[in-house]
Amino acid sequence: MHNKLRLSLIFLCFVFVTLQIWAQKVNEFPSKTDPLHKKVALFDRLMLGNHWNEGAIMQHVIFPPAGLDRPIVGSQADCLDPTSEMLAAYSHKYALTKDNKDREIANQIFEAILKLEKVTGVSGLVARSFNKTDEPLWHEEVMWYHEWHGSTSMPGYRWLGDLSADKFTSIFYGVGTFWEICADAEYKKKAAGLLDRFIGRVIDNNFKLTDLDGKMTLWGNFCPDLPHQQLNSLEMLAALKVTHRITGKERFNAAYHMLIDRYQYDDHQINSKILFPEEWRNVGDDYHAARSLYMLMRYEDDPNLLNKYRMNLNRHWYDWKDIEFTWESTIWFVMVYQVLTDEDIMTEDKKQAIKDMWGFERRKKEFNIPQKDGSFKKITSEEEGTAAAMIRNYWFGRYYGIIDEKW
Amino acid sequence: MKIFYTALIILIGTSPNFSQDLNEPPEGMVLVAEGGFIMGSKYGDHDEKPKQIAYTKAFFIDKYEISNTEFAKFDSSFKFPASKKDNAAIVTWSQADAYAKWAGKRLPTEKEWEKAARGIDGRVFPWGNTYDNTYVVWDQKSTRGTSIAKPASPYGCFDMAGGVWEWTADWYKPYPGNKTPMEQYGEKYKVMRGGSNFNNHSFIRTSQRYYLLPEKISNYPVGFRCVLDIEQK
Repeated sequence: MHNKLRLSLIFLCFVFVTLQIWAQKVNEFPSKTDPLHKKVALFDRLMLGNHWNEGAIMQHVIFPPAGLDRPIVGSQADCLDPTSEMLAAYSHKYALTKDNKDREIANQIFEAILKLEKVTGVSGLVARSFNKTDEPLWHEEVMWYHEWHGSTSMPGYRWLGDLSADKFTSIFYGVGTFWEICADAEYKKKAAGLLDRFIGRVIDNNFKLTDLDGKMTLWGNFCPDLPHQQLNSLEMLAALKVTHRITGKERFNAAYHMLIDRYQYDDHQINSKILFPEEWRNVGDDYHAARSLYMLMRYEDDPNLLNKYRMNLNRHWYDWKDIEFTWESTIWFVMVYQVLTDEDIMTEDKKQAIKDMWGFERRKKEFNIPQKDGSFKKITSEEEGTAAAMIRNYWFGRYYGIIDEKW
Repeated sequence: MKIFYTALIILIGTSPNFSQDLNEPPEGMVLVAEGGFIMGSKYGDHDEKPKQIAYTKAFFIDKYEISNTEFAKFDSSFKFPASKKDNAAIVTWSQADAYAKWAGKRLPTEKEWEKAARGIDGRVFPWGNTYDNTYVVWDQKSTRGTSIAKPASPYGCFDMAGGVWEWTADWYKPYPGNKTPMEQYGEKYKVMRGGSNFNNHSFIRTSQRYYLLPEKISNYPVGFRCVLDIEQK
């Protein structure tokens, strides 16, 4: 082959590979001075363009070359959080716009949660995440526990197990919101079926999230016979309430009242916010409490129980009323409080914090990537975090009239 | 049933053992007396069943997990930040085993670990049956008995609930009489005990078992403490 021809072919290959890599990226970022609606629109494009994994929304994206040939490799343990946030976001958005394109996106995200169940091959067992790959990806070794499995029900996929109480909350919150304000009749039925199997399996295992090996997962304990966090009592009650509402099945109502009558979960949940010692306050836990209370307090109509849930909310508000908006979900806490109590607590500072919401920066980072021979190779690449909470906050605020469309 | 267990344990636990009084624990260790104890649980995972009476000989066990400073005396290549000198050393099973041998000791069996943690009366936690956040080492920076309430186990061991998991010598196998199959049983995984600061409350129960590849601890924080056999007098 002539040298000239060879060089041309090499150049063409280079151009093709480069285009392949960059074609997978949405690259337009908003500026901090843009109005909120523009920031949300651009971050939405970034999330759908760069974080979309067959409908599941990835919390962390590493671009090639560190992600090898795909941009979705990153730590995936928490991807049910942004997935449920985007599902809720598009559900609220559809409820406002009635645009079928928004509903279709919500449907696709919901289908990904169904796939998280299907990929495990066990009815009601939901994975944390999945990847379409035959071979283990490099980050499985270094970014999470050895809880990845090859799928037997979906050959060519791998999935991450050890589902936790917070992802459990993501599921009933996201799917519950979707069912409530977005899903059509067909999807309502699918959503009910998913929660029936998922929450039903937890009940069957004595209120424990159990993994493929039959053991309780590291953070999957709602069991009345085992010591568990007060927050987990709250999450379990909320899950049962939502599932009863959606499925209409009496077993979920019976389980709800059994945990209250026999095991006093209604009392136990009151202290799910740890206020003192102050360094134990945890906004991560608050997020799960906020999602649980948001679903539970709107669905419960027993005044005695509502009073106890309000006591829990009050303990959170003790901290939230002065909270610094260092994380997008902390802004959402305040909105949830307003929706649940109808108190007008939106000061100018809080409104400004909402207007200033931001997603993420794309950063360069050096990754130490394990090789097949056991060595490690340093590769510099780019990574993105998630803007799903910000986008959910926006459409939630718009839906409840907290956020003005002109902001 | 509870009364039966209690009566049995009192009988077994108070049976005479003349040798133990002759043995003063070495510095940093405590004595665990020979005899029976309640092992396992009927409420936990299926691998904790059946709840049973198990026996051990008398042995000494470390009061605390091996710290970074202690481990570095054995392995000078072991690096850690100066601020973490008292933290439990997080190591693979082979490293833990090698340290124990170097120190003239060994890793505890599951039975020994569980007895040292819960005593003879089948308690759920080292301090009793009631959960309390202040009893638990939730922070790996805060080891060496520095949980708020500083509870010791009945034999005087600290930090057996939370902080870091702890290696045992044993492969992950079913208890005698356990009929629930698990593909993980065998000689592939080692058992770790005690839970860490990164899991739910149930994992710090004294009977909780968890399995892990001995050389691939990944993100699991696993430390260890050692046991010393008591020579027959």
